Amino acid sequence: MIDVDNIKKHYVKGSVTTEVLKGISFHIAAGEYVAIMGASGSGKSTLMNILGALDTPTSGGYRLDGQEVSKLDDDALSALRNRKIGFVFQQFHLLERTSALANVVLPLIYRDELATDAEARAAAVLDAVGLGQRQHHSPGELSGGQQQRVAIARALITDPALLLADEPTGNLDAKSGAEVLALFAKLHNEGRTIVLVTHDKVVAEHAGRIITLADGGVADDRAVSHPRDATAPTPNTDAVAGPSGTATSA
Amino acid sequence: MANRNGRLLREALGALSRNKSRTFLMMLGIVLGIGSLTAVLCIGQGTRDRIMKVIAVHGLDMLMVRAGAEKQIFAPTADRGIASLSEADASAVEAELGNVVAVSPVQNQRGFETIFQDRSIKVRVFGVGPAWSDIRRRPVVRGEFVSHDDMAHASKVAILGFHSAKTLFGEAEALGQTIRIGNEPFTVKGVFAEAGASAGAEDFDDRVMIPFTTSARRLFKRPYLEQIVIQVKDVSRMKQTADAARALLRERHQIRGDAADDFFVREPGDVKEAALSTSTTLNTLLIAISMIAMLVGGVVIMNIMLVSVGQRMREIGLRRALGARRRDIVAQFLFEALTVSGLGGLVGVALGAAVAIGLSAKGVAVSRLTWLPFAIAVGACAAVAIVFGLYPARKASRVDPVVALRQGGAS
Repeated sequence: MIDVDNIKKHYVKGSVTTEVLKGISFHIAAGEYVAIMGASGSGKSTLMNILGALDTPTSGGYRLDGQEVSKLDDDALSALRNRKIGFVFQQFHLLERTSALANVVLPLIYRDELATDAEARAAAVLDAVGLGQRQHHSPGELSGGQQQRVAIARALITDPALLLADEPTGNLDAKSGAEVLALFAKLHNEGRTIVLVTHDKVVAEHAGRIITLADGGVADDRAVSHPRDATAPTPNTDAVAGPSGTATSA
Repeated sequence: MANRNGRLLREALGALSRNKSRTFLMMLGIVLGIGSLTAVLCIGQGTRDRIMKVIAVHGLDMLMVRAGAEKQIFAPTADRGIASLSEADASAVEAELGNVVAVSPVQNQRGFETIFQDRSIKVRVFGVGPAWSDIRRRPVVRGEFVSHDDMAHASKVAILGFHSAKTLFGEAEALGQTIRIGNEPFTVKGVFAEAGASAGAEDFDDRVMIPFTTSARRLFKRPYLEQIVIQVKDVSRMKQTADAARALLRERHQIRGDAADDFFVREPGDVKEAALSTSTTLNTLLIAISMIAMLVGGVVIMNIMLVSVGQRMREIGLRRALGARRRDIVAQFLFEALTVSGLGGLVGVALGAAVAIGLSAKGVAVSRLTWLPFAIAVGACAAVAIVFGLYPARKASRVDPVVALRQGGAS
């Protein structure tokens, strides 16, 4: 599924060349749930950007779902992100004053042909993340946890090969964070390939495998013998009150 | 919408409606620019129309070529018998001179005894072409004027001056009656409107008009003319047209070097011509000012868009992450600029038209609303949007999604 082969990334600033990734290799199989950990400055963010096709390595190979990504031009990278990668960000990055449904449909508009069932698919993925009743709410009317679940629905609508989450619980309280992790566990059980980037060891231990970066290289790559069980029940959001009492407005 | 650009337009509309105050500010400059442009175009055209109407009423679009040199014009005899202008000259002017609407030869002779039954009157008879009535603005109120057919057949038809008709027929019907002019029978074909005391009317109401061919061959029995009257198309080129007519006739009359003309081209007063060109200058100036206002409107759009690109880094980064290509971002921002400019243009046109209508109530000349100001406004809006929207749009498209997604700011 994912083949990372001796990836290096240099940044040149004036006469100073900074080597952020110094040759990273790993393989992630389809259906794996992997956490990438590392302190800030370890190269974690740079690696995530390369895995997300937002950036290209200076050298080395990156194959995603059978396609070599490292040599693609900007338009091809855009198309690849659109088709194969579902992003989940720490700050959710939803369009404000825009309904959950419209936010979830967003990736589909950047295609030459819009699926005729786009809105039905958006409604279905919102349902799958437990927000079936909140389709027409805008982000301002949703709690942080609900917003992140809208973002996850947006990542899922394209049925991506890779779900790439960057500190998805970083802006959430413990309860909402647990719900999001439970949702990831559910998606993992359904066979989705998930890469979760975090600095939080407890969060990382929900994954089946942890790759730890340090100083631009892989410091550790091990399976988690007993992944933490995200036992929080499948989120039933309509019972979770939003910050502005939105539970009653559904 | 199944079309990708259609969807991007919808994204643009969404972005505009999410931030209405920003959209309003972007629109403001265009509204004012297009508003003033529309008002100026309406008023400018209206002023021009009004001047043209004055010109038309007073026949200021007419060049008159008279037989004989200039000094002879003021000779007391009207029928000077100068044989310098011919019918062929009139035809040549019509065929070869540019900027001409219509041409008519004119010949006239005084003292024709005109008789109907027991009534008689001494009149001055004019032989003219079919265009004469329009050129001199002497409309026929009853019956018809000389036709091309009358010309071709040298028909014996007459159009009576208002006063001649009254003297001969009183209140009775004149049309279709046979009168005798210099012992020749003529059928009354039309009666002129009363010229009354209007400028230059003189004895007009006492005249009788007949086809030029009839006068030349059957009544006056002479080929030469007293006048050629020429209606000019573009009055602002009156002088050039007069010079061209002069050159043409000098050549036809084989007058070379310093030799004096054997004809005289009379131009209408220069005053009105100056008025028209002044109004044109003023109009051009006002349009230029409106265009500058439009440019300012464009700069406003560009500035607000540039600021908004900075504020919307996260949105741009997100869209790029979700698969928007650079050109999709350019398209969205250009659509935003076009929408703002287009809406601003519509509001501006409405505002400008309202101002023009308000001013017309206060006596300012305003043209009827035509498509022209609207077409110009729409074109100007699209041009402004593309010219001033492209830079911010390209800037937005060059945003690095990695950097943008890490930034704060509302999306």
